[in-house]
Amino acid sequence: MRIALVGNQNSGKTTLFNVLTGSNQKVGNWPGVTIERKIGIIRGTDYELIDLPGIYSLSPYSLEENISRRFLFEEQVDLILNVIDSTSMERSLYLTTQLLELDIPVMIALNMADIADKRGIKIDLKTLEERLDTTIMSISALKKTNVFNLIQTIKQSNYRKNHYKHIYDHHIESTIESLVGLVDTTHKRFLSVKLIERDMLFESHQTKETLSFIEQLSTQYLRDMEQVIADERYRYIEKIRDEAVSARRDRLTVTDRLDAIFLNRYLAIPIFIIIMFSVYYLAAGPVGGWTVELVDGLMSGFGDWMSVFLIRVGASPWAVSLVVDGIIAGVGAILNFLPQLIILFLLISLLETTGYMARIAFFLDRVFQKVGLSGKSLIPFIIGSGCSVPAIMSARTINDETEKKMTILLTPFIPCSAKLPIITLFAGYFFQDRSGLASASLYFLAIFIILLSAYLMKNILFKGKTSSFILELPEYKLPSVTYVLYDVFQKAWAFIQRAGSVILMASLVVWFLISFSWNMTYGIPANESMLASIGNLFSWVFYPMLGELSWGATVSAFQGLVAKEQVVASMAIIAGYSDSTSEGLLIFGSQAFGFFTASSAYAFMVFNLFSAPCFGAIGAMRQELGTTKRMWKAVFFQTGVAWVLGVIVFQFGRLLEVMFS
Amino acid sequence: MKSKHQKNHIGDYTSLSNLRRGQKGKVLSLDIDDQQLRRKLLDMGITEGVQIKIKKIAPLGDPIDIELRGYELCIRKHDLSMIIVEVIS
Repeated sequence: MRIALVGNQNSGKTTLFNVLTGSNQKVGNWPGVTIERKIGIIRGTDYELIDLPGIYSLSPYSLEENISRRFLFEEQVDLILNVIDSTSMERSLYLTTQLLELDIPVMIALNMADIADKRGIKIDLKTLEERLDTTIMSISALKKTNVFNLIQTIKQSNYRKNHYKHIYDHHIESTIESLVGLVDTTHKRFLSVKLIERDMLFESHQTKETLSFIEQLSTQYLRDMEQVIADERYRYIEKIRDEAVSARRDRLTVTDRLDAIFLNRYLAIPIFIIIMFSVYYLAAGPVGGWTVELVDGLMSGFGDWMSVFLIRVGASPWAVSLVVDGIIAGVGAILNFLPQLIILFLLISLLETTGYMARIAFFLDRVFQKVGLSGKSLIPFIIGSGCSVPAIMSARTINDETEKKMTILLTPFIPCSAKLPIITLFAGYFFQDRSGLASASLYFLAIFIILLSAYLMKNILFKGKTSSFILELPEYKLPSVTYVLYDVFQKAWAFIQRAGSVILMASLVVWFLISFSWNMTYGIPANESMLASIGNLFSWVFYPMLGELSWGATVSAFQGLVAKEQVVASMAIIAGYSDSTSEGLLIFGSQAFGFFTASSAYAFMVFNLFSAPCFGAIGAMRQELGTTKRMWKAVFFQTGVAWVLGVIVFQFGRLLEVMFS
Repeated sequence: MKSKHQKNHIGDYTSLSNLRRGQKGKVLSLDIDDQQLRRKLLDMGITEGVQIKIKKIAPLGDPIDIELRGYELCIRKHDLSMIIVEVIS
């Protein structure tokens, strides 16, 4: 049996999905977390459960609604489990009235029953069941109340098969009746209503006969039929509401009280700045930097010990080098940053689950609107400081196509967690006491370039276009400790896995290419290695921003495509990471990278932050932008911006250095 | 701060964007050409006759959080200006 989970955004579908299937899908406290459909098996049964994206309607206009509609219309579904947020019954039932028109049994789970109860919303289940002619169960997915009964009911197929109810006025109902006789598909009633609405995706089912019925019907109304149908649905729901739902009105909820502070005209911005500064201070700034030094010490101690140990057991020099200079140097250079990333992932997870993220989107929309983006662009930008891949995917919640594409294009400019090692390394060495300031300046530069690019694109490419913004502010929620820990663990584990697979492989390749010459001799000077000759081919590209033809910097920057942290791993291997000094001193004290000055260091950082993201993120851009051509455009745009910025920074920095020395 | 001069009185017909915080209006029509936006607003329950209250205004004056049908929705001022209402409180 196949069951489709359908409901509004943020109605708790994914939470219910996780409870029913025992899996751990991503849950967030902003609308639109489920982007693609997910499939699981309900525990203790062999029933397939499909979690569809949250939708408000089965209209033809939005991507999510289309995915869900196509799925329900075209695939074999045995039961629709309609999840309803008990605290907003009317809007939820609007979708229900559409689902009931399909020839699929519908069962309703009234979710968040506990919250509705607390807010004084009383729902008369029996009347509601009678009116909608279907089984309704009151549950709380978060507290797992009544979920067992829900499974039992489904198992015993104890739900009533709904029969059709008259919800429109008699003109429309009789037209539907006539149309049902004329169309030749499944879901006849659903299709008939779509034909009346003149839904463009079903126009191919329209015939002369159906059209004549519909034109006749239209003459009865002054408005167009799409609006008439919506009005009628809501009129019907209002009737049900009056019979089955009673609510205590106009009470200040906890969320209202918190919003009075967080969205206060004078306090909102200062609070936002304080929160973002704390995130930065703890993750990218001093606290995060401190953890890096701590692990770095342990790691180089381990490298020394391993080197001594291998020599003692009689390993050959190249084998010692493979382990110490290749594996430990490359992978170790990355693992240093793990604690810092855990802090960052934890903080982002907290912003997501509490509901504050949606507030930021709400009150900064004004600013982003000015440059042609949406307040919702901020969600990808903030998630992007963790990883660009989920960030690019979360851009789907943006209503407007242009705003969405621009957000996807610009999200990789935000320094992601894998770029943090680059920032920490360069800023820590070249700007010592002011390293905090130097790394903060990169975040501000990223924001500035994003706003500037968006503004230019809006005024040159998409002139005179207006767009809309529709968002629901979710209730504030205390984050669930288990969920947050799980979420952080997942992301950290993915990072470790990458260090153990992609980074390990790339490190071994780099070690091999740098340790051997083209005629396979080991123990040659680095600048006679295969890697050096490859790098020399392209080093002219970076000359304008480094002031030096450096094969080492060139090959390292290229490896940013594999993963941004690989830039650091590669530099560590090239520098010969086997002495027991700090990482920065080692890399920049080496012959290969000794040429770096403050301005070329900053320029190189800028290039690596803005240039094409890693393959993972490029893949995500390809998927979300829809075509490979758009993906290439994005990649060239990003790399072009990066190169130009890098050159400007270096040339300007060198000028300053000359003037003040 | 121009709203000081153009206070809306009960019974006035105006666009939703002209209402102040706490005021309520009853929807008369949606004056929107963009099909997609119009359908979206209809789907969200902004149909003829529904009562809408201005609940929260973003610190920078836009967008605006409105309350209708027992839930809340944030919409840009520009879009609200296309919703014609009768002021009821």
